[in-house]
Amino acid sequence: MDVSGVLEAHKQKFKSVSVEGKVIPLEYDLGLLTAYDQNPIDEALLKKNKDEYLQSLSRDNAQLLFNEIFQLPTISDDNGVMAMLPTPTTLLPREKPLPKPKPETRWEKFAKAKGIVNRKKERMVFDDNTGEYKPRWGYKGINDDGSKDWIIEVPAGSNPMEDQYEARRDAKKERIDKNDKRRQRNMEEAAVASKMDQKTVNKGERPNMDNARSMKRKEIENQILISKSSTASVGKFDEAIKGDLKPKGIKRKFEPNVTADLSKEKAGNMSILDRVVGKNGEDLVNVRKAIKATKSRK
Amino acid sequence: MLRTITPRNARVKRVLKNREAKTEENIKTAIFIRGSQTSQIVNDALADLYMLKKPHAVNFTKKNQIHPFEDHSNLQFFSQKNDASLFVIGTHSKKRPNTLTFARMFDHQLLDMMEVSIEKGTPMKDFKTPKSAIGMKPCFMFNGDMWDQNPHYIMFKSMILDFYHGQTVDKVALAGLEYVISVTSGPMTSEGKPGKIYLRTYTIVLKRSGVKLPRIELVEMGPSMDMTFGRMTEAKPDVWKQSLRVPKELKPKKKKNITKDVMGDTVGRIHMGRQDFDKIQTRKMKGLKKRTASTEEEGESGDKKQRVDDSDDEE
Repeated sequence: MDVSGVLEAHKQKFKSVSVEGKVIPLEYDLGLLTAYDQNPIDEALLKKNKDEYLQSLSRDNAQLLFNEIFQLPTISDDNGVMAMLPTPTTLLPREKPLPKPKPETRWEKFAKAKGIVNRKKERMVFDDNTGEYKPRWGYKGINDDGSKDWIIEVPAGSNPMEDQYEARRDAKKERIDKNDKRRQRNMEEAAVASKMDQKTVNKGERPNMDNARSMKRKEIENQILISKSSTASVGKFDEAIKGDLKPKGIKRKFEPNVTADLSKEKAGNMSILDRVVGKNGEDLVNVRKAIKATKSRK
Repeated sequence: MLRTITPRNARVKRVLKNREAKTEENIKTAIFIRGSQTSQIVNDALADLYMLKKPHAVNFTKKNQIHPFEDHSNLQFFSQKNDASLFVIGTHSKKRPNTLTFARMFDHQLLDMMEVSIEKGTPMKDFKTPKSAIGMKPCFMFNGDMWDQNPHYIMFKSMILDFYHGQTVDKVALAGLEYVISVTSGPMTSEGKPGKIYLRTYTIVLKRSGVKLPRIELVEMGPSMDMTFGRMTEAKPDVWKQSLRVPKELKPKKKKNITKDVMGDTVGRIHMGRQDFDKIQTRKMKGLKKRTASTEEEGESGDKKQRVDDSDDEE
């Protein structure tokens, strides 16, 4: 039985999905669902009936683009058949710069070193005492500190006259303060760490201080030394304070007064003269400008 | 200048976190602004482009004294306030009639911008045809040979893609491809200047064909604009380079040590560490042990025999 004739007749009923006449094959960026057609535009047709020509051209290119899209591997999802798109080839600029990696907190460093992984826990936990599900943390949670208990047993070693409710409130306050201190410490260390990165970027060297706290201490000490010498007499006549910081690493070297080598002395004196008077007889003062300035002042 | 906001509740904190720099970015928001004087064509064009860009678009309905090519500090303020990085400014003047200025920001600073003037525009409402739903991802096509050559064309192509491509996804529903934006470049003018560009928007209708692939028919939806290029400010090369940087997490990962051989089978390589063959723990086979105990026994018995003989000799 010859089925090909029937197939042909069936095919003739529908319009074709292939597109001829494209000398240069289209380029596709399927990640962005884009087709680039480099074929030259038919100017005559464009002039004659612009919109029709543009529509037919777009239809052809859309057909080719869809033929490509339908060739992609597909998966069936709840939303229907989805085509897996490749990554886009056309580079589009971002709207914001790349995020800077945040410096790790103390806990993160420790967890990384030990290999502790954060596993997601369920919000609701079964409470054996009441026999119902309660949140693990927060409002009406199971680890509520118990300050709302209607009765608190006096623990073994404590003073029987002590107010246990107050003791529990104080303990909670202490925990909150500790947490706050730790958060502050983390923020300080992060600030110093990011500053450290900037410095090393500028200098191009690695810092040899791992402790952010001692870095900050060094900074403060530097500031103290600078402020000591910012008096009118550069800190020379200040009274020495007991236990004050001494500037380290400052040594003054003096050349001997009389040397056998007189050329060095000559070179030193000539450099001073150059700086005062000017090299090769040039003037350090721009005479023309100076004249103008005095004229304008008058 | 904008004051830096310190969050006082969780909702504000979430919003600020959303506005931070991220590895995978949000969809860019666009602001549509009217200049000090606009015409009907410009208003219609802005309205249509706004509808295509919804919901990631802000429409400023009031007129603003804004001249982007002279002073772009306004744009920086708007960008920071609305967390938007794309702008379309519509103006009309005798010198530059029916002008749209497309601008892009990087880190709330101007990246690049370009001006197009609309020669002929047909708004969406003039096409009595069904429109696509709001927020769908369009297909694009750029027809003509100029799109890679001339800087005007390159920037316009980049702008259109940036505006309307939505979110970069790794899969798309085949039924959800509803409309296509087609931009065609006309011939160059006789002076060698860039010619007109024709922007058309069509809805896609899939028809049955005899084969698996569907037959595509297009129905014009609008907007339809014939434009010519105006002024342009290109991005500074170092800022442009910085804006194109891809974070390490999003770079395609290379699979190492896996190859396909001639037959098409996948072959992998496993690297073992250095092995000290003297210290490998193997199975113990008793029969292969060194015979130290039995040789000793023989030697001892031999000695004993000697002694007996000696004593015999002595006697």
